[in-house]
Parts: sequence; structure tokens; C-alpha cells
Amino acid sequence: MGNKQIPIEVLDTGGSAYVSERKVYPRDVSGPLNRLRVAAVFWLLGMFYLFPWLSWDGRQAVLFDLPARKFHVFAITFWPQDFVFLAMLLMIAALVLFFFTALAGRLWCGYACPQTVWTEVFLWMESAIEGDRHKRMKLDAGPWDRNKVLRKSGKHLVWLLFALWTGFTFVGFFTPIRDLGARLSPFDWGGWETFWVLFYALATWGNAGFLREQVCKYMCPYARFQSAMFDRNTLIIAYDPMRGEPRGPRKRGLASVLERARGLLAVAIANDYVFRASRHPSAASQQTRAASTITFDGGTQAEPLPKFAPEELGDCIDCTLCVQVCPTGIDIRNGLQYECIACGACIDACDEVMLKVGYPKGLIRYSTQNAIDGKPTHVLRPRILVYGTILLALMLGWGFGVANRSPLIAEVLRDRNALYRETAEGVENGYTLKLVNKTDQPQHYRIDVSASDLPTLRLREAPEVDVAAGSVASLPLTLVAPAGTAGRHDVKITVRSQDGATTRSIDSSFFGPM
Amino acid sequence: MTDYTTPRFDHPPRPMAQRVGAILWPSFFAAGVATMVFFAFVDPLALRDMTFPDVAISRGLGYTIGFFMFWVATASSSLFTWILLRPASRFNRPLPPN
Repeated sequence: MGNKQIPIEVLDTGGSAYVSERKVYPRDVSGPLNRLRVAAVFWLLGMFYLFPWLSWDGRQAVLFDLPARKFHVFAITFWPQDFVFLAMLLMIAALVLFFFTALAGRLWCGYACPQTVWTEVFLWMESAIEGDRHKRMKLDAGPWDRNKVLRKSGKHLVWLLFALWTGFTFVGFFTPIRDLGARLSPFDWGGWETFWVLFYALATWGNAGFLREQVCKYMCPYARFQSAMFDRNTLIIAYDPMRGEPRGPRKRGLASVLERARGLLAVAIANDYVFRASRHPSAASQQTRAASTITFDGGTQAEPLPKFAPEELGDCIDCTLCVQVCPTGIDIRNGLQYECIACGACIDACDEVMLKVGYPKGLIRYSTQNAIDGKPTHVLRPRILVYGTILLALMLGWGFGVANRSPLIAEVLRDRNALYRETAEGVENGYTLKLVNKTDQPQHYRIDVSASDLPTLRLREAPEVDVAAGSVASLPLTLVAPAGTAGRHDVKITVRSQDGATTRSIDSSFFGPM
Repeated sequence: MTDYTTPRFDHPPRPMAQRVGAILWPSFFAAGVATMVFFAFVDPLALRDMTFPDVAISRGLGYTIGFFMFWVATASSSLFTWILLRPASRFNRPLPPN
């Protein structure tokens, strides 16, 4: 082992006191969890890139039409007045997140978060052009020769094209995408359309190409609150230290601890080994640059581990593949860390190694802390039941509310400039009637005015009005009472659709001289 | 080669007055400036008429509501910044016992 690197560093570089961010080079991994993630990437990005191109009833199926203040989502159209449904939808989304986090950990981070999904795609492009982890590290460390310039510029070209397509698709959710595409050549985009395409492309390129895991580690609030949702019955990505420790390389032929006399360690001894190993990283860890941010109760001082006899070793062969595949660059053997996005790459990598050395898989596995500690796991617990019940109630309420939305909104605003006017006809009050026809057909409405203590009150304008499909009409209304009417009177204005299916009544006031 | 496996310096928690002060005071200051600039251009009464015309809101109440809305927004942002700047060790704790 003549080429082993000695971990020394120059302390006084004369540079900045800040630690520059270590670049993570995730190693490619294959296995069931990785296949699941690839499927999630195709499903979610498929929805993102395809939905704007679908049509529904002659319009774009999913269109957030900001200028018209209408959101179309397949059969449903949301109006500004439906803001409560958007608010409820956000609450439902939050509760779904709590519920599944409490149940099965950070599934969102590992499989569904746009940051993970786009980073994954950018990584595919990167490894296709620059090669695997080892080649990428070598390329970055090497001089700027022709090969490096070609590969780096090729990567950025592909990234930028993909990012621009992403920005174009994003804007296509807000302005009809077919029209936007048709106006690309000859170029006829508006200033703001162009700005948002470029801005979203830049954000995609920066987040998925450069920031990557730093977004999860330094910017994401969800990661910081995981402990509020986790308990010892939550599924987490867990390393089994009782089985794995003490870690270390060994000759072939040593059986798994599950099949030989040593068996599993006691929890306290296993955790102590993990703690001491994290304070005195092995040459293997140092070489793979396994970072560790975890802290343990009891300070930072730890005795180095002795050299263990082969039969004392646990099942971890310290190959550090679990660290090399980690997209956030942590060492899962140190236990649950907020940096873990629960992607399960370490599980796939470790299972493959276990298979190779002939040990049972599952040294790193999807499990609960209770199961790792050899205690029973409870799936149904108060937290799950409470989250589940609230979630179900909100979802039912939302579905009911959306299904029973009113097809007509009617509002009456009193003229603010004058309380009343006295004319030759009598006493007049001015109002503005706002009608929103939320249906997809033109509607004919009839307006009736009544006041219990003013039977002679009448409407000056025609009492019939047509409102086009999905539009808002603003009509002036003038109510006239005979001269001599004084004081305040309650008025009821009723709007009825022609088919009689929809009726809205609005209460307002009529004023005469006091 | 930098030794990334060395434990990072873990700053001990700062005094409560410093933590709360660092969240509430800058946000208070920012909210004050924002309120001043905003209401230099927008009359609270005009704002009332286009939102809740039926509610009796005086100018004074409008300024007050505006200031506290700005403060809630800026303080939330300061709180978020504080959470993100806490060292990793504050979050990487063992799960609570059953």
C-alpha cells in the first residue's frame, strides 16, 4: 500500500476563512430503489413536460391563465373567488407531507422533490458526457486540455438546452404553449414571456447543475423539521451498527455475523464503535471524503478503535460505497442525519456489496429505529391517526366544496360618491352589480328588486342581462323611490338564471334624506 | 487535500436575548421602513375601499394593520434565516425515546 494518501493540509493558505463547499460526485448505483426513483423521474417530469400540450374542450388542459384570472385544470376552472380551494389544497399538501413523513420518512425528498428529480436528470447527462464518478473527479482535478474543454462545454450545452426547454414548458403553463411555440420563429415573444423562460431556465441550470445537494442541506426548511415528524416507528434509511460494527476490511471466507458465533453486538457497544470510528475515520473514509456533521452526546473526544481480530469484525467491510453513492455526501453509518434525503442509494449499493461477499442483504435498510434496536414497531399510533383523520376530512371537504361550487357570483356595491340623489323622478340610489358567470355557457339572468317597507321601489335599468360564458359583467343599477322617501331601507336584490336553476340574493340598503 | 472528516466547529447556542433580538429587531426596522414607503404612495382608505368597503377602517387603524402585516412577513423571513443558520448538530439528534 505504497500509494496511500496521507491526510495533511496546509492550514495557512492566506485565503478566506470560509470552508468552500466540497463537490459531491455521486457514484452511479443500480438496484430496486434506484429503479423506483427513475420511474418517479419519468412519471413526474413526464407530467410536467406533457401536460401543457394536452387539450380539453378546445382549450389547453392545464393552463394558469393569469391575465384572465382563471386557472384551468382539466375539467375544472378556478376563479379568484375560489381562492379558498387553493388555500385548502395547500393545507392538504402540507398534511400529506406530514402524514407520509411520519409513516415512511422523507419519501418526498428522495423521489418527488423537483430539486431531486431535476438533479437526477442533470446527473444522467453529466455522467453520459463526463463519465462515472472516478472519471469526473479526475477530469475536475486535471488541467484544462482539449478533452476537458470539449466535455465541459458539451455538458453545459446539453444542460442549457434542457434548461431552456424546461423554462419554455414552465411559461407554457401560464400562456398557451402551442401559441408560444408558434411565435418562436419568427421570434415574437413578449418581454415578460422571454424573461420568465430565461429566468426559469437559469434557475433550473443553477439548481440542478451546481447547487444540487446544497439546496437540501442549507436552504430546505423541511429537512430541518424532520425531527418534528419522525419518531422511532418512522421508516428511515438505517444502518444496523449491531451487525456492522466494528467495520473493517477482511479476507474472503469470513462468514456474516448472522451465521457465526459473534452474533449481534449490544446497542451501546455498537453505538460507541460508530462514534469512535466517526472521530477517527479510516484511510478508506478519508480517501472517499466521507463528510460527517453528526454530533453525539458526550463531546468530541474519543479513543481510537483498536485493531480487531477477523472473527470480531462486523459485517461492514468499510468499502465506503454507501458514502460514494450518496448524493448529499454523508456517511449513513453515523445514523439518522437531517442531510439524508432518503433516496436509498446507499441501500442499493450496500445490498450489492453484501451479495458479492456472500452476506445477507440489509446491513443498510429501510427500517424503523425500533426495529434496528430490536424492539417492536407500531405503525398505527396517535400521530398517524391524527394526521390521517385531519387529512381525510380536508380532502372530503375539498372534494365536496369543488363539486358544489356556485355557478354564479353576484355582488352589489353601493355608489360611494353620493348616498342619494334627488331628481324629478324621486329619490335615486346608485349601485354596481357584479355578476360572474362561472359556467361554460352564456347565461341570461333576471334581476328583481324588493324592499319590504318600500313597495314602490323600482329599477330604472332593464331587468334582463346576458353574460357570456366564463365572464364577469359589471352593471350600473339605479333604484328609484318616490319623492319624499326618507331614511334607510333594507333592499334585497335577486338574480335568477333563465332556467331557474341558480338564484342569488344580495342584501343592500337604500337611503333617502335623513 | 482538506480533511472533510474532521468534525466541524460547533458553536454553542447564543443567549436567548441575542437570538430573539436578532429576529425581531431587524424585522421591526425593515417593517417600519416598508410601512413608511408603502403608505407614502397608498392611502389606507383607498385600500379599504377596494378590499373591505363595508368595514369601518380609519387611517390610523389602516397604518397599524399595515405595519403589523409587514412585521409578520419580515419576522417570518428572519426566523427562517435563523433556522437555516443553526449548525447541523442542533438537528442531528437521536430520535426521542418511545
